[in-house]
Amino acid sequence: MGNERRCVVTGLGLVCALGDSVDKCWNAAANGVTGIREVTTVDTTDCYANMGAEVEARSSELSSENYDRSSLLCIKAAGEALADAGYSADCFDSDRIGVIIGNCVGGAASIDKYYTDEIKNGNADTSDILKMPASAIANNVAKHFGLNGATANIVNACAAGTMSLSYACDLIRSGKADAFAAGGSDSFSSLAFSGFHALHALAEGPCSPFNKSNGITLGEGAGILIIESYEHAVKRGAKIYCEVLGSGVSSDAHHITAPRPDGQGQMSAIKRAIRNSGLEFTDIDYINAHGTGTAKNDEAEFLSLHTLFDGNDHVSVSSTKSMTGHCLGAAGSIEAVFTVKAVCEDTVPPTIGYNEEDLENLKEKAGSIDFVPNTKREKPVNYAVSNSFAFGGNNASIVFAKNPHDIPDNTNKQRVFVTGIGELLGASDEAGKGLRCDITGDDYKEHGIKMAFYRKLDRFSQLQLISGMRALADAKITVDEANENDIGIIIGTADGPMTEIVGFQKNTILNGTANGSAFSFPNTVYNAAGGYFSIFAGIKGYNVTVANGIQAGLQSICYAADVLHSGEESIMVASGTDENTDVTYELYEKLGYTESFRLGEGSVSIVLETEESAEKRGAEKLCEIAGTSMTHKSVEFGTLRGSEDAMKRAILEACESAGIAPDEISAVCGFADGNKTVDDIERAVYSEVFTKDIPVISVRNDIGEARAAAAAQQAAYAAKLLKNDSEGKYNYILAVAAGVGGSYSAVVLKKI
Amino acid sequence: MNTEIAEKIKGMLVENLRIPADELEYTSELFGDDIGLDSIDSIEIIAGIDNLFGVQMTGAARENFQTIETLTKYVEEHMGE
Repeated sequence: MGNERRCVVTGLGLVCALGDSVDKCWNAAANGVTGIREVTTVDTTDCYANMGAEVEARSSELSSENYDRSSLLCIKAAGEALADAGYSADCFDSDRIGVIIGNCVGGAASIDKYYTDEIKNGNADTSDILKMPASAIANNVAKHFGLNGATANIVNACAAGTMSLSYACDLIRSGKADAFAAGGSDSFSSLAFSGFHALHALAEGPCSPFNKSNGITLGEGAGILIIESYEHAVKRGAKIYCEVLGSGVSSDAHHITAPRPDGQGQMSAIKRAIRNSGLEFTDIDYINAHGTGTAKNDEAEFLSLHTLFDGNDHVSVSSTKSMTGHCLGAAGSIEAVFTVKAVCEDTVPPTIGYNEEDLENLKEKAGSIDFVPNTKREKPVNYAVSNSFAFGGNNASIVFAKNPHDIPDNTNKQRVFVTGIGELLGASDEAGKGLRCDITGDDYKEHGIKMAFYRKLDRFSQLQLISGMRALADAKITVDEANENDIGIIIGTADGPMTEIVGFQKNTILNGTANGSAFSFPNTVYNAAGGYFSIFAGIKGYNVTVANGIQAGLQSICYAADVLHSGEESIMVASGTDENTDVTYELYEKLGYTESFRLGEGSVSIVLETEESAEKRGAEKLCEIAGTSMTHKSVEFGTLRGSEDAMKRAILEACESAGIAPDEISAVCGFADGNKTVDDIERAVYSEVFTKDIPVISVRNDIGEARAAAAAQQAAYAAKLLKNDSEGKYNYILAVAAGVGGSYSAVVLKKI
Repeated sequence: MNTEIAEKIKGMLVENLRIPADELEYTSELFGDDIGLDSIDSIEIIAGIDNLFGVQMTGAARENFQTIETLTKYVEEHMGE
């Protein structure tokens, strides 16, 4: 036991339909005031529902930059949180404070604008293209405030805002940062409204969680928490709100939109969070529930809560979504702010919307649990949980505590090995639009994937599923009841399922919000690919998708190694995936990039495994992951120049974590793709870091700029080179990758 | 059976639900193990039929959704209502 790496909350920021500050939002939520009104920013003609919880402020009032609304909402909340934390450049090393943002719909408002302009006026604004990917958000926030620690966008739909907090704590505990501005952000969008409308998942009136449970009401906003190491907070004399204890992330492996009816996946995340906090279920005073208000969620969540907490005679549960609406990728972070306030103020915000008859019905469903209907509950709140459950069957749970509490140290210092690789990369350029993968029925048959399953998949999910299954097969891993909870997934992507998103959006523009595609909508979330992969493979552990430019495919390996070192899983599949379709090609062409590089696509999955797990099952090891590093130097999203320092740091820190000097590196698997600016930066930094001439391997010569897939392939290529190096040419190979906006990941692979 | 209607329905299923055309017969069980449609897909079918023929299938009995043949029959019987 021990909590040498205590994480504390030192700042809060919030913007949602309840107001543009933590105080305004908390006063409203604690007093049961709703932010749900008639929708104003999306055309709801012919829709059966028209309620939403929108933020009153126009985008230009949030911040002055020309960014997508998701970024602007996030900057607004982050500004409040950093000021609240007393952030100044004097008391922080900017390299040690990073940004991790949860998000669901990316730049959906900008995607809507771009294609509306194109379809209705015939002239879309090219500058909107860089606002489309979720990758931009954390970078934009980091740029605005000059934060240069590691960045990530966690894009696991409605659980993203909680997962980002969980990841921030893990990185602080492993000493990789002093603090993070962490949370989530999402704007109101025609995409989400049309999609949930198509699924008949919107409530006609205001949503009514744990009550009428007849659908959700969408909201928008951002919540940011400054999470800081206790030592750092004390050293600078910071005000401390509360402690962040353990968290848990799990997969349902059940259905792409619906939660498991038996609540097993939800309970797995909650159990992990309580266990990682060193607590018992009876310790918990308050649970901010996921509580969306859909019948399926509420039934599963009632079951989960009763199963785990019926022995607790003092737990209160509420859903603040009854007032904020469902803010998707921001939901978990907004609710985390409310949970922190509940702990600090000893006040539980209510779930609103119950009439007399509803209150009678609730008694039966609530049993011994206090569901705090309509009015707040003032009571001691020492330990509180916030839950978030998402499309794709992704679940996350996190625990906040008023006072310090010893948490179990599950971390392990075991060596991590590569034990399997699955590749699917573009090889042919028949259409003259870059390299594309040729996927046939045989690719599915090889892994027993039936048409009933694969016909659901969009391009992005197809690529991911095939490479993921190939990697598991290569590692000779069979997922079964004995190991299903010990295997996790991290997927990195630059652009996510952009083709499906654009297809859905164009249909909505042409045929109206009321006519969205129920079939397509589940695939428009970035984590659908990871969801399908977990469902088909039966993987029930950690499951996160990171959108963070090209380098996300290598960042996934850094992240996966971190999860293994945290002791949470023993096997991780780390992937990089990006698609090249007519849609993506056109966007890259308009930005002028296709003149300098050949666009590619694909997915590369790498199985990482702890030494104990690999030994136990007699796995063949390809190489060791000896060191990793993620760095950032804020430059404008879409550019790289000026971020050289972060690349240098990434290489030096990765070598340091591998316990070697840079000159012990035998070769580099680099990120050159033919773009002169990018290639010049790469060359310049190598000549600065290495005192000798170092061989540089460029995988993109063969596979094109397959973005995150190419970044993952850099590591996969290095692993195979080390495995097959009969001449003894290589001891250590460095893979380093860059992402626009100034994010870098570096991995040192070691021969065994 | 009106094959013109059946072909349109087939085209809609191939386009909107990504069912490979060569694996889809008029009598294929849409909700069986092979094609494996589910409740989300049935929402899409309802929207597609409405779009193509102006026929409302919301609330229609389950058996009408079994095959392209049964869908065609339903459309034939309810067109112009």
